[in-house]
Amino acid sequence: MSAIVELKGVSKTFYRGKEPVPVLENLDLQVEEGAYEALMGPSGSGKSTLLNLIAGLDKPTSGTAKVAGQDLTNMSDGELAHFRADKIGFIFQAYNLLPVLTAAENVELPLLLTKLSSSDRKTRAKTALRVVGLEDRMGHYPRQLSGGQEQRVAIARAIVNDPTILVCDEPTGDLDRKSADEILALLEKLNKEFKKTILMVTHDPAAAERAGVIRKLDKGQLQ
Amino acid sequence: MIPLAYNLRNLTVRKTTTAAAAFGLGLVVFIVASVMMLSNGVRAATKRSTDPNVAIVLRKGSNAEMESGIDEQSVGLIAATPGVAHASDGRPDAVGELVVVVLLDKVGGGFSNVQLRGVPDNAMAFRPSMKIVEGRAAQPGTDEAIVGKAIRGRFKGLDLGESFEMRKNRPIKIVGVFEDNGSSYESEIWGDTNVIRATFGRQSIVSSVRVRLESPDKFDAFKANVEANRQLNVSAQRETEWAVKQTQGTALFLSALGFVIAFFFSVGAIIGAMITMHATVAQRQREIGTLRALGFSRLQILTSFLIESVILALAGGAVGAAASLLMSLKRISMMNFQTWSELSFKFEPTPQILITALIVAAVMGILGGFFPAIRAARINPVVAMRGG
Ligand SMILES: Nc1ncnc2c1ncn2[C@@H]1O[C@H](COP(=O)(O)OP(=O)(O)O)[C@@H](O)[C@H]1O
Ligand SMILES: [Mg+2]
Repeated sequence: MSAIVELKGVSKTFYRGKEPVPVLENLDLQVEEGAYEALMGPSGSGKSTLLNLIAGLDKPTSGTAKVAGQDLTNMSDGELAHFRADKIGFIFQAYNLLPVLTAAENVELPLLLTKLSSSDRKTRAKTALRVVGLEDRMGHYPRQLSGGQEQRVAIARAIVNDPTILVCDEPTGDLDRKSADEILALLEKLNKEFKKTILMVTHDPAAAERAGVIRKLDKGQLQ
Repeated sequence: MIPLAYNLRNLTVRKTTTAAAAFGLGLVVFIVASVMMLSNGVRAATKRSTDPNVAIVLRKGSNAEMESGIDEQSVGLIAATPGVAHASDGRPDAVGELVVVVLLDKVGGGFSNVQLRGVPDNAMAFRPSMKIVEGRAAQPGTDEAIVGKAIRGRFKGLDLGESFEMRKNRPIKIVGVFEDNGSSYESEIWGDTNVIRATFGRQSIVSSVRVRLESPDKFDAFKANVEANRQLNVSAQRETEWAVKQTQGTALFLSALGFVIAFFFSVGAIIGAMITMHATVAQRQREIGTLRALGFSRLQILTSFLIESVILALAGGAVGAAASLLMSLKRISMMNFQTWSELSFKFEPTPQILITALIVAAVMGILGGFFPAIRAARINPVVAMRGG
């Protein structure tokens, strides 16, 4: 197996006014293709920051990041947007569905960046919703869905483009146990059946248990 | 592209602010469209009474009939010029007319100038579009007159069966009402030339001579012919071109006034649009961050918000334009500065006016949405999704 994520000597420093806030320091990370990894650590330790670097949403202050065969280090803003559209599926703690769009329309969004025809897009959005078990909720707006259902729509949106990596930032953080377990089962299925590489930040030990690898982030370093 | 449904639904979600901003934009469009319809109406009213075959002859140097004076003997000479058509009775198809202005009391207070036209017996035959709609034609050589539909009943004494005083103790009786497709003649009183001459001391004078040419291309030769005669001391113009000049100044004044007003209102409307768009960008930071995370580019975000602002403006604009169409039901009466007399006209819509008004709306939408859209495009997705 080859490394699908390869970070070398990655540092990330934010600035609060003039004052530097170092978050990641000289961090190395390799993730194998098809892996399901959990990332744990105290609040503010930089888990989201690390995930954003891997997803091409942010750039390291120094070091190199190679993800899905592409070197993100020197990419322009537009190239990174392309990269995200193409390779990354995002799943957020707050679901981040667009409230004025229906479930199906939310799922279809990433496909608007492809050359697919409208009917192909609709078919694929429907398929993705079937995978998460919400085919019958296509026309519902986010406010008409439960938290667990919203997160499943978000997962459908994340996978509709057939991305290489799913990046999940506390995907069960806002959910009750039962909904959380459904989401975790779904992620496991995506990893096993659909061979998606999954990186998941979580505070929940039960969630982390499900992943094949658990990494701990503390004081800017992976333990 | 970010779907239009996203913009449309966001606009309907925030109904009140959308309606408020759209109202301001619609008001400007209403003003712009009304002003254009108004100056078009002024132009149309004068132009409507014209015939491409007709040439008008005035004293050299005068542009308005009122300030022109031609010897009555010259009328026959001008009418006999080659190229002038002949009426069915064999006479040259020409009319020499005297135009004066009388000051009359308006019904409901105030007073204004009204054009009084002394006409020969073939004046109505010369203008086939003109017809008596009530009463009858005036008897030549008497103190009878007919009044145009547009001013009938709007001045004291100007209704069927009433009389008004041209001068002290010179009453004129209204025996008929005429119409002429809404042309500026409808704002005039027509009476007998000799009676008017006697009253105003303008014996043996006409203001203008109109001749119908055999065809429009005879005009150049006709013009050269009459102007070559130094004795006549006149100049000839195509009636169509002359008519445009008659209201050019008034139409221009109305446009200028309207556009100055529209300009100031549009500043307010653009600021209104900007405020709502700024507010919605601030509210939708997380959504914008999400779209960026999904791979939409800055340009796509910018475009989407600009489009949203333009949709907002067009929605307001459509309402404003529709409202301006209602204005076309209303008749307006004001002083024509070229003739110093009352001109009555309507707001005249055309498709171009409505299209222009909507373009104005779209431009306001772009101007108002520009900075908010830039701000949306510059949102950092990481920061946007951390907050709120
Ligand atoms: N855009 C930013 N600007 C300034 N500081 C930031 C920014 N993003 C994160 N930080 C800081 O970096 C640290 C790590 O944040 P984050 O990666 O969100 O941690 P975690 O996800 O582990 O809770 C925190 O101290 C946070 O305040
Ligand atoms: Mg975090």
